[in-house]
Amino acid sequence: MGKSTGFLEVKRQEPQMRAPQERVKDFKEHYLPFGDFAGDQASRCMDCGVPFCNSGCPLGNRIPEFNDAVYRGNFREAFEVLRTTNNFPEFTGRICPAPCESSCVLGINDSPVTIEFIEKEISERAWNEGWIVPKLPVIRTGKSVAIIGSGPAGMAAADQLNQFGHRVKVFERDSRVGGLLTFGIPDYKLEKHVVSRRAAIMEEEGVVFQCNTEIGTDITLDELRESFDAVLISIGSKEPRDVGVKGRQSKGVHFAMDFLHNNNQIIAGENHGNEEFSTKGKKVLVLGGGDTGSDCIGTSIRNGAKEVIQVTIEEQPPEERTDQNPWPEWPKILKTSSSHEEGCTRIWGLNATAFNSNEGGELVSVSFDEVRGEEFNGRWQYVPTGKKQTISCDMAILAIGFKHPEYNGLIADSGLKTDIRGNVAATDFQTNFEGVFTAGDARRGQSLVVWAIAEGRQAAEKINKSLSS
Amino acid sequence: MSNHFSDLSKKNKEYSGLYHPSFEHDSCGIGFVANLNGKQERKIVEGAITMLENMEHRGGQGAEPNSGDGAGILVQIPHSFLSKSLQRSGLVLPLEGSYGVGNTFFPKEKSLQRKCITELEKYITNFKLRLIGYRNIPVNNSSLGKSAKDTEPDHIQFFVSPLDDLDQNTLERKLVVLRKYANRTIHQLFPDTYDSFYISSLSSKTLIYKGQLTTAQLKTYFLDLQEKEFKSALALVHSRFSTNTTPKWKLAQPFRYIAHNGEINTIAGNVNGMSSKTALFKDSLFTEQELELVHPICDVRRSDSSNLDNVVEILTASGRSLPHAMMMLVPEAYENDTNMSAEKKSFYKYHAHLMEAWDGPASLSFTDGEIVGAILDRNGLRPSRYTLTKDGMVIMSSEAGSLPVEPLNVLRKGRLEPGKMFVADLKQGRIITDEEIKDQICKARPYEKWLLEGEVDINTLPAVSEKAHGKSTYEERLRFHGYTKEEIERVLLPMFVEGKEAMGSMGADNPIAALSEQPQHLSHYFRQRFAQVSNPPIDSIRERSVMSLTTLLGRTRNVLDATSLHCQKIRLEQPVLSNADIQKLRNISIEGFSVHQIETLFYADNPQSGLENAIKSICKEADFAVKSGNNLLILSDRNADKNRVAIPALLAVGAIHHYLIKQGVRSNVSLIVESGDTRTTHHFATLFGYGANAVNPYMVYDILRHSVKNNRLEKDSDKDYLSSYFKYVNNYKEAIGNGLLKIFAKMGISTFESYQGAQIFEPIGISNRVIESCFNGSVSRISGLDFEHIAKEQLDKLTEAISQSQHPLPYGGVYHWRIDGEYHHMNPKTITSLQRACREGSYEHFKTYSNLLDGNGRSLRHLLEFKQRPSIPLDEVEEVKFILKRFATGAMSFGSISHEAHSTLAIAMNRIGAKSNSGEGGEDEIRFGIKKDGDSENSAIKQIASGRFGVTINYLTNAVELQIKMAQGAKPGEGGHLPGHKVDDWIGRVRHSTPGVGLISPPPHHDIYSIEDLAQLIHDLKRANPKARVSVKLVSLAGVGTIAAGVVKAKADTVLISGMDGGTGASPLSSIQHAGVPWELGLAEAHQTLVQSRLRDRVLLQTDGMIRTGRDLAIATLLGAEEWGVATAALIAEGCVMMRKCHLNTCPVGIATQNPELRKLFSGKPEHVINMFTFMAMELREIMAELGFRTIEEMIGQSYILKQNQKAGNWKSGLLDLAPLLLYSNWSKSIKGIPAQPIPNTTLDNRLIEAVHTYKESLIPAEYVFDILNTDRSTGTLASHEVAKWRGSAGLPNKALQFNFRGSAGQSFGAFGSKGLFLNLIGESNDYTGKGLSGAQIVIRKPSNANVMAHENIICGNVALYGATSGELYVNGIAGERFCVRNSGASAVAEGVGDHALEYMTGGEAIILGKVGKNFGAGMSGGIGYVYDYEGTFLSKFNSDSADVEVPSTSDLVHLKSRIQEHVKYTDSELGNQIIRNWETAKTSFVKIFPRDFKRVLEAKESMEAYG
Repeated sequence: MGKSTGFLEVKRQEPQMRAPQERVKDFKEHYLPFGDFAGDQASRCMDCGVPFCNSGCPLGNRIPEFNDAVYRGNFREAFEVLRTTNNFPEFTGRICPAPCESSCVLGINDSPVTIEFIEKEISERAWNEGWIVPKLPVIRTGKSVAIIGSGPAGMAAADQLNQFGHRVKVFERDSRVGGLLTFGIPDYKLEKHVVSRRAAIMEEEGVVFQCNTEIGTDITLDELRESFDAVLISIGSKEPRDVGVKGRQSKGVHFAMDFLHNNNQIIAGENHGNEEFSTKGKKVLVLGGGDTGSDCIGTSIRNGAKEVIQVTIEEQPPEERTDQNPWPEWPKILKTSSSHEEGCTRIWGLNATAFNSNEGGELVSVSFDEVRGEEFNGRWQYVPTGKKQTISCDMAILAIGFKHPEYNGLIADSGLKTDIRGNVAATDFQTNFEGVFTAGDARRGQSLVVWAIAEGRQAAEKINKSLSS
Repeated sequence: MSNHFSDLSKKNKEYSGLYHPSFEHDSCGIGFVANLNGKQERKIVEGAITMLENMEHRGGQGAEPNSGDGAGILVQIPHSFLSKSLQRSGLVLPLEGSYGVGNTFFPKEKSLQRKCITELEKYITNFKLRLIGYRNIPVNNSSLGKSAKDTEPDHIQFFVSPLDDLDQNTLERKLVVLRKYANRTIHQLFPDTYDSFYISSLSSKTLIYKGQLTTAQLKTYFLDLQEKEFKSALALVHSRFSTNTTPKWKLAQPFRYIAHNGEINTIAGNVNGMSSKTALFKDSLFTEQELELVHPICDVRRSDSSNLDNVVEILTASGRSLPHAMMMLVPEAYENDTNMSAEKKSFYKYHAHLMEAWDGPASLSFTDGEIVGAILDRNGLRPSRYTLTKDGMVIMSSEAGSLPVEPLNVLRKGRLEPGKMFVADLKQGRIITDEEIKDQICKARPYEKWLLEGEVDINTLPAVSEKAHGKSTYEERLRFHGYTKEEIERVLLPMFVEGKEAMGSMGADNPIAALSEQPQHLSHYFRQRFAQVSNPPIDSIRERSVMSLTTLLGRTRNVLDATSLHCQKIRLEQPVLSNADIQKLRNISIEGFSVHQIETLFYADNPQSGLENAIKSICKEADFAVKSGNNLLILSDRNADKNRVAIPALLAVGAIHHYLIKQGVRSNVSLIVESGDTRTTHHFATLFGYGANAVNPYMVYDILRHSVKNNRLEKDSDKDYLSSYFKYVNNYKEAIGNGLLKIFAKMGISTFESYQGAQIFEPIGISNRVIESCFNGSVSRISGLDFEHIAKEQLDKLTEAISQSQHPLPYGGVYHWRIDGEYHHMNPKTITSLQRACREGSYEHFKTYSNLLDGNGRSLRHLLEFKQRPSIPLDEVEEVKFILKRFATGAMSFGSISHEAHSTLAIAMNRIGAKSNSGEGGEDEIRFGIKKDGDSENSAIKQIASGRFGVTINYLTNAVELQIKMAQGAKPGEGGHLPGHKVDDWIGRVRHSTPGVGLISPPPHHDIYSIEDLAQLIHDLKRANPKARVSVKLVSLAGVGTIAAGVVKAKADTVLISGMDGGTGASPLSSIQHAGVPWELGLAEAHQTLVQSRLRDRVLLQTDGMIRTGRDLAIATLLGAEEWGVATAALIAEGCVMMRKCHLNTCPVGIATQNPELRKLFSGKPEHVINMFTFMAMELREIMAELGFRTIEEMIGQSYILKQNQKAGNWKSGLLDLAPLLLYSNWSKSIKGIPAQPIPNTTLDNRLIEAVHTYKESLIPAEYVFDILNTDRSTGTLASHEVAKWRGSAGLPNKALQFNFRGSAGQSFGAFGSKGLFLNLIGESNDYTGKGLSGAQIVIRKPSNANVMAHENIICGNVALYGATSGELYVNGIAGERFCVRNSGASAVAEGVGDHALEYMTGGEAIILGKVGKNFGAGMSGGIGYVYDYEGTFLSKFNSDSADVEVPSTSDLVHLKSRIQEHVKYTDSELGNQIIRNWETAKTSFVKIFPRDFKRVLEAKESMEAYG
């Protein structure tokens, strides 16, 4: 399989990105297509005896096989391989942090294979060539499933269950399908037509999406259980983590998801947005160093922010893996996202202690303690060094993670049990109610899209099994 | 001689452990002496006994030195001696030749003896014979050992004469019938007499004295043999070396017609074949009633030699001459021989229709009392040397010089050549040559005409359109038959494209079929058997000329007769049928052929008994079809669908094959299989091994068609789909054909017809019930699946097919790991945790690793658990540092892995006092010393493998252990090939070869074709380094215990039982997956067998093969191992990530690569490796504390601590019965000293050593003279060791010590001779002359008073200069087969050579001044050969696959002339002199043999130099 000496001959090359000064002018996708390089890049795959990528990928994507097919120029075959494990390669090909690549064996001594870009190239070819067409289930079982939440977990479960022959209806609180894919992730990473074209195919295949309907409010869980043979709760983990410090109520302090949601609504043409989220001419402080933080940076810049500063509680990570963080673990190294390239200052080791406002209650600055990470009784914690800092700003966005699913409505009123971390409690994806299942962030807590798809697929297997027995 | 497979189903119950008597092998020395003029003389008998005594070293002894493995003699009836002896008791013998004498073993117990006698007398009367009387054969048993004495029978002669006047041949036939009937009936009546009642001989012509004796005991035991009046014109002797030690008087040889040295590998198939042939017996000489009485001709419980003897007997008694019978049973390699006459070829082709070859190494001596002769099988893997004397004696024996003859009296000295026969007719008083006798026989009947009339070539049958499938889709069919994407991609596509099997590396770390969770192909429960020690594998590529795939379909007829109808069969070039082929057969409309098709399907709705019922019904259908006259049966599963499931093809074939055998009609029909589940070489091999005659793998062609249509495979042109399709079909058939040949060859079998039905497999995980009905005779030791379970696996595939039909095929993950595929012990989690443990020195991570492995239920050892025992505190257990010394790393050569990876292991092992292994590639001498930092890169274990790369006297001298690699876990029975691109300057130097030139390791060691040969190699190595212990590496399989016993008797100090799953080298995928068995079985069997035969105390047992955790060590120790080898895990510790790319040189972590850029990436440290071994030892200590063992010593072999855990594993593992594994023998460790079995020096050895010491003190060159005998073996090797100790590889100045010898040198004359020694032998030498020559000079010249032409006589045995690295050899006469095999540096001159000369040569030079044998230069990749081709016949003997023939250049001729002058100087060669005298004419007759690989490298070098 593949080309045995490819990795010795070809270096890693990623597809080109539009230049930062260009791309910040709009919300269009920042990567250019891979083009003809895909085959060359795929030839770097070593067809490992133990492909760690295959275990690194939560979906178990058959990476060496699609690499081989791409190397041979057979994208059709590559796509058939890819679709067996991944319902939505067009999503993961764009926004997955690619744990496969961090476990790629070539990464031990070289740069890993560009697995994610190859994946995207395969899926885009599949869409462009018309290989993705509605595929009606062969049989209909007569069973029905309700899915609450149309994020990646819900969509993956819906796709699977529909193909098993069950009738599937997906309930979405928002106006559009996709969950965080649609209203969380900025368009420059994932343009929304990518989500909608997939939803359209699924609809043609028989999946029904019902938007603007909130379960727990519009319809109760009990009602759903009566009308459907099974219910899947895939509502994500949207309850944001907060900072409980002085001045939190100041005007101009926002949760990241509210900020991003507002912006995505504007891009989608849903409305003109809420003026208080506008970053035009403002100095924006983003608290939190993860992907959501980056999304806030890129969005702020595109919306005309004067200056963007990102503050992270952790110390600056090393440039390369340390001995304590060996391959094939997830590399805890300094990552520079596309947003960072677009103009942003990064400050490490600061913990917010107060949001300072003017008389009008408007945020003017944030005070910080300088901190240092330490292990204490086996737990990691941040200890003040004694130094302090205050950074002036017009807006602060909190992107420091999510606690658990939102409780009000569905969970609070139905008697669904939660686990110790606050997620919906489940054994083998089944909640404390028979026939009610849960998957995705709602079950496992805040995580990656690829995990959500994997969860959706696994839950679908379980639901199918319970419906067949 | 062996019984591979006994009627185990019944016998198994008698043996509770893993040992089974059917595993026994033996091997030997044979010979005969005869008077050509037929005169009965005393000197013949005495000569034969002397010869026998001089071959003592070819025989074996048991636990006691005075219990031999067996010796015997066959003579003509000494009429006058017997007459006189009988006169004393008042009995009168009739005329010579008109009465029969029966030499018989009777039970010692008197009442039983009387019963036997009463019965015997009854039969004598019934057969219309008169009992003349009895004579007690006088014996003196005082010299016998205990075990021989315990089973000693009474030896009684009885004498009978016919009531009617009968001619002698009729009388002989009557005696045959009486003997066979009496033997059989008495054994049936009194089962206790099975071993104690035995008629050694009953004939009017010959008499046999034999028993459980050493060669020296034969004469002292049988007093008759000492009598002056005891005379004969011929005497045939045999000394036996057996792997077993259970005394069996009757297994001694000779038998009535033959004495056999070697082993019939195809015995199971031959015996099954004979049993159905017997049913067809009809004869004009025997009456029908007589034929009834002689049944059965063959019996699985007897040895292969004994069965062969019985077949020879029936063929000759029914009218064929003895040579004719031998030609039928041991045919020459005729298929690919273009020089053979049409008549002879027709003879062999014709007789193939009657009888499959009894295949395997065989040197057979035969006699009927009137002629005496010998024949060598097609491979010629046994030495047979003869001497004719001027006074009319014929002497033939395994060794030259075993019966010394005055040089003046020698008329001719020769050797038996492969496939050739030699007959002395004592009536005619002359030698009949091979050509004459065969010519006579071949022309006696019109075989060629008969073939033209009877045989049908499948290619001449009319084409018919292909058959359509039943009601199923392609996708469904793939799933019904369990195909995976991986099999298509990794196994089938490479065969379609390349025409050969794909390679893999890093062994198999997936579970055996019985422990896998995935539904299995039934064939995967059957492990391929292979040859090791007791017989040699063959090189099916380089020795293709002896191999054949010819297949004959149709009915076999009465073998006692011969007519044109006998060859009315369809001839196929090979047994893999295309769709067109099977259609032709299905629709055949030629008179004499009739086809019946059986649907091999069962109903899915009855999982419990559906399969078994279906099996019963197809067996009955087959029987009925055959009895109604059909002679071709097609077993087809083409119509499988959702309701009717395919019976696994192997099960269907096996069931019908064995049912038809039981019904006595198997020979009437050929079984043709049309099977969807057959795809890999292994699948084909199992089908053929269990009875299929031809197979059509229709699904493979389906897949092929799809692949071409879907552009997965290239098309020649867009329009022409069919031509591409047929090209790929042919590639596939070729790949399977070559793969099958390799599988045959690894067992030492040459032809398809012999392999067919030979059952060369070990089933693991199949119940005895299934074995009995479908695979009867195979040894299944731990039981397993019954019919219903086999059905379940088929039905699981069906369920999968229905439920998953929408999805692409599952991947499989057997060859490469996949998250949703087959389990692998080495997976991302285990690799990661082990590497972290080793790098960070974290025992915690190691625990994570071992917990992942220990509980997984995927190895046999995981089905075992420890019993509760009082535990002890951890600190009472012996310390880690002592345990560490018991570790060894696996054999991985420098060449297969990088210098960095190799030396890191060595440093680590040396630091902890354990042993690293050089592997088979030699070792750089700079590593022998201590480094500046105190570390040592010297590998304690130096391996001696078949390629002998870099095996010099200095290499051997610098070892702590010398390991003979008999087989390798990943590919037992196969050779290796290091491609030229991996041989860089460094590796080339270390291997003593030319960089850039590819290096082949032959499948067999060319100096080990049998157990006595191994004993000789061990002897050589103990001479080359007396302090080193000698270890023999065997691969686990049923019977490895008896092999181990033989190896211990051959004086090995350590036996390594290697599991099937280890192995890091490159091998064909089917070998990685399907050959050998887990170490648990082999180790336990070896331990049990050795304890039982009282040999365990002489040897250390070591085991390896995926040993990974402390628990693995504990179980290995409890099953009998005192040491453990670890290879794969050690590589992982230093960075290996199981890429399985070793064979591609692209290892991305710098381990299995020679690419300098990749080598830089190696990041392993000795500390990492030490960490792993330390953690393993720590874990073991914890278990020891828990079980209450303070030391490893007290833990070894204590298997009663273990019990089977019924809950572990999957649904199938509960069906296994591991009790035989756990059989406990009360034994505790008492071995003393290393090496455990030292070999004392002989006087000659000591005198040579003295000479070295004298030189060391004086530095004055000296010359000595000695007499030498064939019992003086490895002469000069000890002295060379002394030189190497002192001077390393530099040796001494040229001719510092000249030793002149007179006489016949024993084997391995001058082996590993150091530079500076000059060994001048006047006389002759035996096999392995100059083996491993390391700079010494050897001259072998005829005695000046011998009045023969040197170049027409043999003077040097087989396999001279094997693996020589430097030095010179001058042979004043002909040398035997395989002259200069794998020579890599020595320079030789000989005046004629046998077959396969210069095979695999990689360097050095060979000048042959006379005739050469077949297959000259096969696999030659380096060095130069010159042949004086004055008859112009050289080209017909030359194998042109890897070398070219050129005209020598002017400078070549200058060099040649000086070399020949040198030869003349040393040997006084007449031929050499002649050539030099007529140089201007003679020089034009020389040809130069130039290997292409070598030439390419030389030219590249020249052009490099030219360009500066």
